[in-house]
Amino acid sequence: MLTFEYNETGKILTCAFTGHLDTNVSAVMATEINDKIQSLKDSIDPAILVNGNIIFDMSGVNYIASSFIRICVSTGKQLPPGNFCIVNCDPFLKKTFKIAGLDDILNVK
Amino acid sequence: MADSLIEKADIILDKAIFAAAEFQQFDQALTDRIVEAAYKAGLNARIRLAKMAVEETGIGIWEHKMWKNVIGTQLVYESIKNERTVGLISNDPVTGITEIAQPLGPIFAVTPVTNPTSTAMYKILICLKTRNPIIISAHRGAAKCTAEAARIMYEAALAAGAPEDCIQVIPAGSRDFTQMVMAHPKIALILATGGTGLVKAAYSSGNPAIGVGPGNVPVFIDETADIPFAVSSIISSKSFDNGTICASEQSIIVEEKIEQTVREEFEKQHCYFLTPEEIKKVEKIAVVQETMSMSPFIVGQSAAVIAQKAGITIPEGTKILLAKLDGVGKKYPLSHEVLAPILAFYAAKDHNAAINLCIDLNYLGGIGHSAGIYANDEKLIMEFSQLINAGRIVVNTPTSQGAVGGTFNLLTPSLTLGCGTGGKNITTENISARHLINIQRVCRRRLNHKFMDADHAKYFDESCDETVLFKEYHKNH
Repeated sequence: MLTFEYNETGKILTCAFTGHLDTNVSAVMATEINDKIQSLKDSIDPAILVNGNIIFDMSGVNYIASSFIRICVSTGKQLPPGNFCIVNCDPFLKKTFKIAGLDDILNVK
Repeated sequence: MADSLIEKADIILDKAIFAAAEFQQFDQALTDRIVEAAYKAGLNARIRLAKMAVEETGIGIWEHKMWKNVIGTQLVYESIKNERTVGLISNDPVTGITEIAQPLGPIFAVTPVTNPTSTAMYKILICLKTRNPIIISAHRGAAKCTAEAARIMYEAALAAGAPEDCIQVIPAGSRDFTQMVMAHPKIALILATGGTGLVKAAYSSGNPAIGVGPGNVPVFIDETADIPFAVSSIISSKSFDNGTICASEQSIIVEEKIEQTVREEFEKQHCYFLTPEEIKKVEKIAVVQETMSMSPFIVGQSAAVIAQKAGITIPEGTKILLAKLDGVGKKYPLSHEVLAPILAFYAAKDHNAAINLCIDLNYLGGIGHSAGIYANDEKLIMEFSQLINAGRIVVNTPTSQGAVGGTFNLLTPSLTLGCGTGGKNITTENISARHLINIQRVCRRRLNHKFMDADHAKYFDESCDETVLFKEYHKNH
């Protein structure tokens, strides 16, 4: 499951995930995230990918497929360095990002 | 050009490392379901893949390649299916040690032209069983059939829930690219099966490697052996897929007193002894004189094709060509490994001379690989086994099938045979899933009372030698 929350003051889009993010679920979420970013660009802030922030909140996630890792990479790449982070990973997820060699690049907390 | 190759290698390794990250979250049950699905798909494709391999490589016999595919799928699966390879694998309350299996990470697997689909499928199964993504580099002469075997197993594994990109095949052809991927820092282990150059490249890459290279299998037939049985067994092995298994017999060694009997038995069972002139002709086409390595043009060819290429006439239906040689080494090209139905044949004046010949042949490019003995004398079998440097000493058994395991004995079925330090390997075992996990040991407190109860002050006393410390250590225990 994926819910969005946008903080206009801080220009922060929080994507909160829960559950088992397998390949099929990840494919649907990739579209939802892209659509959300696009709608924010169109309606609120055209420069969100320049001066905004995106947070992936992983509390409640118990599994991620490699396709979800790709979503993290592609989303992070769209923003300036430091403007993307992944928060609330349990140790199991932390280790997954560590093995993928992405915990620093994706600012996993 | 170099930059684009680096980029290409990075893309492959990124995919593999993401697959590894996903894979390490799997439990034993899901892992086993994936392995089962892949094995079934591979086994179901055994005939088509065997035919493809022979058609593409021009090497071997499809019916035998089919059996190799069965070994690489069904027999390997049966040997690993009940193994614990995920998470907690053992717990001993007495020692307080608990073992946990962790995957290694991306494995770079090199597969040979001689056993392409069977080796690829076997490597895929042991990698899936251990939750390691595999990147296969196929021999360029067998690129299509290897890729097809990988595709079949990948699709089945994926449908069973395996991570995307857990099986990848890199394009054949570019040695530079292969070496670049092999040396990539994200590779956890190289599993190389092939020629000397390739195995050396694997070990020189800077990454951990299990590299298994050539053999040069001597087989001793003792006077106590059942000679017709021994000869029949050797023929069934050396003619299996036209001698392409690296554990196939290369030389037959007998004492002079049984030479005639053994010779007649080979002839009776449709083998042909080359004349000295014919040996010269076969040598020229079978062995590259400069390097003393086998010619790729005769690998896996039938005796008839080899005879034709050498320009000699042999009886129709000949299964194996035998060359009686007087020595071992450069002057005798056929004393080297040749993966084709050609056997060197030696008659030694006595028992010691025969065993000495076996040792010479064993050390001529085949240290640590395999050897065979036909005898009905347990003492002799043990004596021979201790003198020979081989990971597998196969007794009264065809060496090809015997060394690979799973059919004639209870060795672990495998298409990558460890050759020990003699072959620059870390193990003499048949490589399987258990070699592809890191075992972590959780060690609980269990005091060594002998050490704890000893008077530790004595260890600081220069006048206490090892005799005193031995007594102190064992005192009251």
